[in-house]
Parts: sequence; structure tokens; C-alpha cells
Amino acid sequence: MTDFPGLLRALRKEKVRFIVVGGAAATAHGSARLTLDLDVVYSRTPENRRRLAAAIAPLAPALRGAPESLPFVWDERTIRSGLNFSLSTSLGALDLLGEVAGGGRYQNLGNDTETIHVFGVDCLCVNLDALIRLKRAAGRRKDLETIAELEAIREEREKTGLR
Amino acid sequence: MTPVPDPPPLPLAEVDRLVEELKKDVDRTLIRENLKLTVEERLIQLTRFQEFAEELRRAGRATFGR
Repeated sequence: MTDFPGLLRALRKEKVRFIVVGGAAATAHGSARLTLDLDVVYSRTPENRRRLAAAIAPLAPALRGAPESLPFVWDERTIRSGLNFSLSTSLGALDLLGEVAGGGRYQNLGNDTETIHVFGVDCLCVNLDALIRLKRAAGRRKDLETIAELEAIREEREKTGLR
Repeated sequence: MTPVPDPPPLPLAEVDRLVEELKKDVDRTLIRENLKLTVEERLIQLTRFQEFAEELRRAGRATFGR
């Protein structure tokens, strides 16, 4: 199970620059679908890579699905050498994305976010229009039902005035 | 072990067509209920749903031995 508040607090505590995307962002916008991990797009600046390394290191990170015998060191160098990481941590599944299909990198998503206040912290979350755009651009079959629901949410928002 | 490559992305026109079809099956009553909640309440609900799903998995393993 993923401790969403714990993961968000851990990232914010080290002042990591990140944007919530994926299923958790869909939930924030009103989706009723179950998601099991937290997906975030993170800034690739050297300072942010150091912050990210410090934030996640205490959470016993490991590459999800990799053999336990595979050596893995979580530090700034590893983040610099890689891009997207699917991690298991002591607080649950966390996907750290340096780049996302249809959205590019952290700096490209800057105008497509809104600040949400959850569990005592302020976080950037991709907005509904951008989330739909990202899912569409990925063109994955498994996302089709999610896209349909997100578009229905957008229509319901327009109809009801609720956010 | 050779990783299985991702299937090629669907063409956008095909995504549009399939999404319009699937939209007819979306339960909008759930969406309307969720839109009445705060963002934090939606995420808390997700966590409770995860707990429930985990409990069902545990019960399934205990019952069916998988």
C-alpha cells in the first residue's frame, strides 16, 4: 500500500521540485479509479537531484521488479545517470519521472500545473487538461478508460461548476 | 531475460474514437460525488480504497491459497 501523505511530506521536507502526475493527479481531479503508486515529474537540476536523493534515501529505495541481487545505490549520481525510476520504498511505490510522454520535462509542464494543499503541504499537480493531453500522447491502450473518465470529469465540471 | 517491448502507441484518431465509445460507460454519479469532496478528501478516499483492496487480496490468498 502506498502512503501518499508520507511520500509527499518526504519530498516537500527536502524541498524537492516535483509535479504530481498519473493516477494520484487523476484522483485529485475527481477520478474514482484505484491507483497503487505515486507518479511525479521531478526537476533535473543538479540541486534538485541532490534534494531528491536526500529525500528518498531514508525510505530504503529499490528498483521495483528488479532482482534483489542487482546492486542499486540511490544517490545523486544514480539520478544523474538515469531518468525515470520505478521505485519501491518503505512508504510504497513511487515513480520518479525525469521526462513524460507528451509533456517533456519538469520545466515544460510549468504552465500546466495548479497548487494543491494536501496533508499539510503545498504540492504542484498537473492540471486536468494537461493530464488528459499527457495520457492521450502516451497512446497506451491501458490508459483509454482513464482518458474517458477524465474527459467525463471535465464535462461534469463544466456542467456543475464543481472543481 | 529479454524485456518485452511496449506496443506501439495508438494513432490519435483511434484514441479519439475509442475514448468516445468508452465515455458512454463512465459512471458519472461517482464523479459528481467526488467533485463534492476536497482534494484531500479524495486522496484519503483513495488510501481507504487501497486498504480495502489489500484486505480483499489477503482474504483471497487465505481462501484460495494463491
